[in-house]
Amino acid sequence: MGDSQYSFSLTTFSPSGKLVQIEHALTAVGSGQTSLGIKAANGVVIATEKKLPSILVDETSVQKIQSLTPNIGVVYSGMGPDFRVLVRKSRKQAQQYYQLYKETIPVTQLVRETAAVMQEFTQSGGVRPFGVSLLIAGYDDNGPQLYQVDPSGSYFSWKASAMGKNVSNAKTFLEKRYTEDMELDDAIHTAILTLKEGYEGQISANNIEIGVIRADREFKVLTPAEIKDFLEEVE
Amino acid sequence: MSRGSGAGYDRHITIFSPEGRLYQVEYAFKAVKSSGVTSIGVRGKDSVCVVTQKKVPDKLLDDTSITHLFPITKYTGLLATGLTADARSLVSQARNEAAEFRKKWGYEMPVDVLAKWIADKAQIYTQHAYMRPLGVVAMVLGYDEEKNAQLFKCDPAGHFFGHKATSAGLKEQEAINFLEKKMKDSPQFTYDETVQIAISALQSVLQEDFKATEIEVGVVRKEDRVFRALKTEEIDQHLTAISERD
Repeated sequence: MGDSQYSFSLTTFSPSGKLVQIEHALTAVGSGQTSLGIKAANGVVIATEKKLPSILVDETSVQKIQSLTPNIGVVYSGMGPDFRVLVRKSRKQAQQYYQLYKETIPVTQLVRETAAVMQEFTQSGGVRPFGVSLLIAGYDDNGPQLYQVDPSGSYFSWKASAMGKNVSNAKTFLEKRYTEDMELDDAIHTAILTLKEGYEGQISANNIEIGVIRADREFKVLTPAEIKDFLEEVE
Repeated sequence: MSRGSGAGYDRHITIFSPEGRLYQVEYAFKAVKSSGVTSIGVRGKDSVCVVTQKKVPDKLLDDTSITHLFPITKYTGLLATGLTADARSLVSQARNEAAEFRKKWGYEMPVDVLAKWIADKAQIYTQHAYMRPLGVVAMVLGYDEEKNAQLFKCDPAGHFFGHKATSAGLKEQEAINFLEKKMKDSPQFTYDETVQIAISALQSVLQEDFKATEIEVGVVRKEDRVFRALKTEEIDQHLTAISERD
């Protein structure tokens, strides 16, 4: 990478040793819509608010939760356009892995490669860091997994995590409710309740998105009808 | 914590400000408004209509050469609001991309795919310092085989959404307020209703009644999937219908 005239990095150290562009990127993430993920004993659930700028927007044209492979899904908080770039790159990396090894890419490998891309953009010439944090949920031979990747390119495995505007309240809520042997359906209910906590306005099947992956290893984004059922169970 | 904005370049190139914002992108949005023009797009049941002001700054100008409405392919159109030169550059690239898509895959580039391509290109300009964002909001319209009438709006930040109705330019917010009221119960407008809602929204927001030569109207409809700019007579018919209705 490295754009012609800009053969110098735009992300440079401040006198105190900080990479301020990355910190600003994290601020951009922190002002994004809340998203969260919970790893259960038999699967993973990721969810996000889907607040659109106007009722005139066709909500069926927007999908914030995307799949990277049939068994790995991802959600973000932060800048939507940057997210699309990462989804495209990650999907390609997963395909290249398959082409080389004739095996589906393990979750940790895909996370590592995505994180490497994000790190590149903190060091290459003429580019800025990505303004998104990702929650990657997958199920492979190592069981259900949930990873968070930050604009710096660092990633951690989480039992449950949240990002975006309401991160501190959401994490406190999750800490109270999380149990090691949680079942996926309980996790989905907890995810909905956590979103509801910080939601400004009335939560409904059309203004949140939920993605789940179970032991069948197929990542699915729930339809509004399915979300409605879960919402009713939570009430 | 961070002190100030580093070298202060966050206003000159697309790097983050301390608040996590991209000033250059925000300024690009201002540039769209600075053109002084407002555009409206409305999606009906089986048709899409876009309307924009046609401001001819000098009587000596050949007004047939002034347009913001561009066919990208025979079946998709693009209404550009903002800096005209940036718009022409975008249109030129979009036309090329759509033609290559058709050649490569054997079928016409769908509207949402084109919109995504435009938005992804816009995103690159927000992340790479060597190119500034374009000062253009693009409304892309067309008729899709499976999803019927489509209207997408792409902005300098790289966002794109499908819309039931939308607006761009100087009086964008007022127009959106007007349209939200009209579209509240998700009405399914006929072709004539779609065109007339779009034109009357523009008239209401700018508080003036137009002559047919002062606006440009582009449509796509199920019966005739070709993207067309309406001729002056047709625009006149709709204007008359609107004034008789009121």
